[in-house]
Amino acid sequence: MYSRPEKIHENFLQKVESGAFPERRSHTCLETSGLSLFDLVDLFESQVMSRHLDLRSRELKNQGRCYYTIGSSGHEGNAALGKAFRHTDMAFLHYRSGAFFIQRAKHLPGSTPLYDLMLSFVASSEDPIAGGRHKVFGSRPLFVPPQTSTIASHLPKSVGAALSISRARDLKTPSEMPSDSLIYCSFGDASANHASAAAAINSASWTSYQNIPMPLVFVCEDNGVGISVPTPNDWIASNYSTKPGIMYFQCDGLNLCDTYSKALKAINYARNRRKPVFLHMKTVRLMGHAGSDVESVYRSLRDIESTELQDPLLHSAALLRDSGITSKQILEIYLSVGQRVADVGEKVCERPKLESPRQVRAALTLTTEKKKAPAVPKRTDLESLLGREASKMEQPLHMAKLLSFALHESLLRYPNALVFGEDVAQKGGVYHVTDGLYKRFGVRRVFNALLDETTILGTAIGLAHNGFVPIPEIQFLAYVHNAEDQIRGEAATLQFFSNGQFSNPMVIRIAGLAYQKGFGGHFHNDNSLAVFRDIPGLVIACPSNGADAVKMFRRCLRLAHEEGRVVVFIEPIALYMTRDLHEEGDQLWSHAYPEMGSEIEVSDFHMEGQGSDLAIITYGNGYYYSRQAQKVLKDDHGVDARVIDLRWLAPLDMAQVSAAVADCEKILIVEECRKTGSLSEGIVAGLVEHLTHLPPTRVLAADDCFIPLGVAAAAGLPKKQEVLQAALDVLGGSQ
Amino acid sequence: MSQRRTLVVAPGRGSYTKDTLGYLQKHGSGVRSWLDAMDEERRRADLPSLTDLDLASGFKTQLHTKGEHASALIYACALADFQQIDRGKYEISAVTGNSMGWYIALVLAGVLEPLDGYRLIQSMGSMMAAGLIGGQVILPIVDDQWKIDPQKVDGVWQVIDDIHLRDGMEVYLSIGLGGYVVLGANKKALPELLKLLPKDGDFPFQLINHGAFHTPLLQSVSERAFKELSADMFKAPKIPLIDGRGKIWQPWSSDPHEIYQYTLGHQVVKPYHFTQCIEVGLKEFAMDNIHLLGPGNSLGGSLGQILVQMNWNGIDSKTQFSEMQKTEHPILISMGM
Repeated sequence: MYSRPEKIHENFLQKVESGAFPERRSHTCLETSGLSLFDLVDLFESQVMSRHLDLRSRELKNQGRCYYTIGSSGHEGNAALGKAFRHTDMAFLHYRSGAFFIQRAKHLPGSTPLYDLMLSFVASSEDPIAGGRHKVFGSRPLFVPPQTSTIASHLPKSVGAALSISRARDLKTPSEMPSDSLIYCSFGDASANHASAAAAINSASWTSYQNIPMPLVFVCEDNGVGISVPTPNDWIASNYSTKPGIMYFQCDGLNLCDTYSKALKAINYARNRRKPVFLHMKTVRLMGHAGSDVESVYRSLRDIESTELQDPLLHSAALLRDSGITSKQILEIYLSVGQRVADVGEKVCERPKLESPRQVRAALTLTTEKKKAPAVPKRTDLESLLGREASKMEQPLHMAKLLSFALHESLLRYPNALVFGEDVAQKGGVYHVTDGLYKRFGVRRVFNALLDETTILGTAIGLAHNGFVPIPEIQFLAYVHNAEDQIRGEAATLQFFSNGQFSNPMVIRIAGLAYQKGFGGHFHNDNSLAVFRDIPGLVIACPSNGADAVKMFRRCLRLAHEEGRVVVFIEPIALYMTRDLHEEGDQLWSHAYPEMGSEIEVSDFHMEGQGSDLAIITYGNGYYYSRQAQKVLKDDHGVDARVIDLRWLAPLDMAQVSAAVADCEKILIVEECRKTGSLSEGIVAGLVEHLTHLPPTRVLAADDCFIPLGVAAAAGLPKKQEVLQAALDVLGGSQ
Repeated sequence: MSQRRTLVVAPGRGSYTKDTLGYLQKHGSGVRSWLDAMDEERRRADLPSLTDLDLASGFKTQLHTKGEHASALIYACALADFQQIDRGKYEISAVTGNSMGWYIALVLAGVLEPLDGYRLIQSMGSMMAAGLIGGQVILPIVDDQWKIDPQKVDGVWQVIDDIHLRDGMEVYLSIGLGGYVVLGANKKALPELLKLLPKDGDFPFQLINHGAFHTPLLQSVSERAFKELSADMFKAPKIPLIDGRGKIWQPWSSDPHEIYQYTLGHQVVKPYHFTQCIEVGLKEFAMDNIHLLGPGNSLGGSLGQILVQMNWNGIDSKTQFSEMQKTEHPILISMGM
């Protein structure tokens, strides 16, 4: 066995001592780079610090004192990018960005990047960005939101963040970044193949192609291999050098002078033209993919050694030697920084770690910067905005119309709220919920997205990083699945991984659930919410009627604005236009526009009736059908039932729900989603936990099947008759 | 035993007091030749020699606290103490200073030759010889265990905001000094500042013979300094040097001209974040110790407060800091005590 880190370390010492430097791959020299000799040494110091952090973290890992060893070795050329970009250019970083981060920190005196990164490596609770929750590059003062970046899922948000810059300037909304900022987004050559990367680069291209400002620099750090799979020769250049609307630049990541000078050109283009750039930085990977990766299993020793001879630190040392710095001085820098890193490593190992689940959870929905919502608009202001339509506000209206008014009210109240999605602008959405918004608020606040849910959600995340409260629309529930990671892996994790220092508030409107008559099939009638249920910290709202929808939506938006929360707002399509409950024309499912300012608090459920023969626990369409069944149970069977509309599917207050049904003889849970993985499982578990004597309980749920087309569309779903029958069954059939 | 890493801190104005009279006589033998050179310069400038000032029979506030005397005395004492640090036991990993201590730190780091350091200090002190520009007021923002009291901080900022709105009155943050803040104000604002700031024991009070250092009020001083002082005397540091923003100037990557620009520009007209200097030094070099150079120990409390704020080595209160100082290896070594 041999230790590659040790070998690389020894190589550096020997080659510098002997002056046996690798041959240059590019010929940009100090004089033509825009750097001074002091700058060059400074960049080299950042590279060396990053390298020693890698080496030290592996040693500490071997001692069981460090937990993660994926490193930046080979990629240290990105120090030049850290210098070339402003520290206020928000950076969404690849996980090999140690040198970039250290160099960026030098823009802001008082930063302590070495100590902070080491705290992160050893998962100390004093780590200033993640509080010991992850090894991640991040800093609020340095405009580096933490990313895991393992699967390129951070690229879509970079598009949204870039879009936000001019948008904030045009709308004069408060923003985090100066109006001439760029967005920096880095990733590896293998990650460039991810669907989310392809989506993001495509959407940046689509946007720029239409001359919409997109000041974004994608940096592809191409080391030629993705874990063990080589990237085909010239794949990145061939793939990305001809994207419409995106300017391609290439630099030699082994040469600080070349990287810096090309970066200046790329920055100049992107900043002045407000157009995206693809900066292709060619580099190498040293020490394998991560500490646990044994490179010799899939690469020959000769290949490994030949790559190691291309160590960017050796290339930098060669530049320094050419500029008059002696080998002795270079080694002095290398060794003294190494000693500092070792000393700091020892110091941070003594710092405290997270211990209890309570400590870990504390950051889930934390925000360090609470905001105050703007005042509730006057009703007369809303009426004036709505014009002739305002006269309808007092009339009984269905949910779609009420939600439309609520969106108008929201954009009126929150100047930083934006509505976007597929067909939401001129068309007003496929169900007219966004009807009129485009006309009244204009294209900067209400706009169509391209047909890609990853882009829609990523755009929302990015906009939210710069002071906006986005209200993205997902046209149909089934469409969210191809983009779910933008919620699960990105939006929902930001407060957790930044210890509340960053947040991406948003209310994601999703038209969904089943029961549509004569339209759709599965992809327009999806009845599973399982994808959201286990996401920690996510708020899930599901109103069953228009009045609740308005009041819940108001609460959701305020929650997002004030506390930075991510909210999913499920709108049951089948109830959008529903006006009647028991018989045609009764208008019992229609409501006037609720009083301005009225809200329904998160987790507050509604209980209809006080009967104790039976409690029905349900939500959405299930509530609608249960209310129909409730009347028949009373009228025809003498059963006094109460029906609970949960309204909020997360967080679910099962202690309160259980207390509300504790005095009932029987319990029926009506679940419109597929049984497996549905909310009903959580409800049953919650009842069991909270009720000492659980009354006989039954679950009526949708079949574990996809929704078919045509007359059988609602065949496997609980409706009035099924609820009635299930109720009678649980009651024993005798009453 | 391996060397212990130490951060050397040079004191600022106000550290030479009646208690430290005679300090140079006791500790100055190691810097005798520099003292002689400085005294010679002073004689040529018709100023009392540092040796004479130090040997005076009594401390005269009006004499000893005057800028052109106090600064030079402190400088000489600090240089003397720096020579006394046991290099076999301690590795000087970085140097820094508070306020005027920055000029001293420049010399300790090798950016300036000792005599040039003296000239810089005297020149900067003489810029206000015709009359001080504004003044400085100090007050604490911590509780009795040295933890930051957010209410006190808010109170200070409310007063600053309030006074700033008044016609012809200007007040700024001058120094972040651990558990204290030092505010710089113009002459019109000083009485209001002293009246409105919350009372806390003897605080707030005005620092005698101090101008509104580190505030925009000294813009003219900065401009004059650039005209009168050349960048030529600035060299690259030999030891890492931490400035009043917490920036680390490393030996091989520091442009002496940039240090010159900072010293006569930003440093003069922008707040001096001493707390940040110390935090950066302790963290980025994993310091085992702090050497506070004499004369006196006037920064000792501030340094203890910073350690408490950082929870450095688990020090989280004044009591714990005091206990730690009584152990065999105290973290703070105050050479002027």
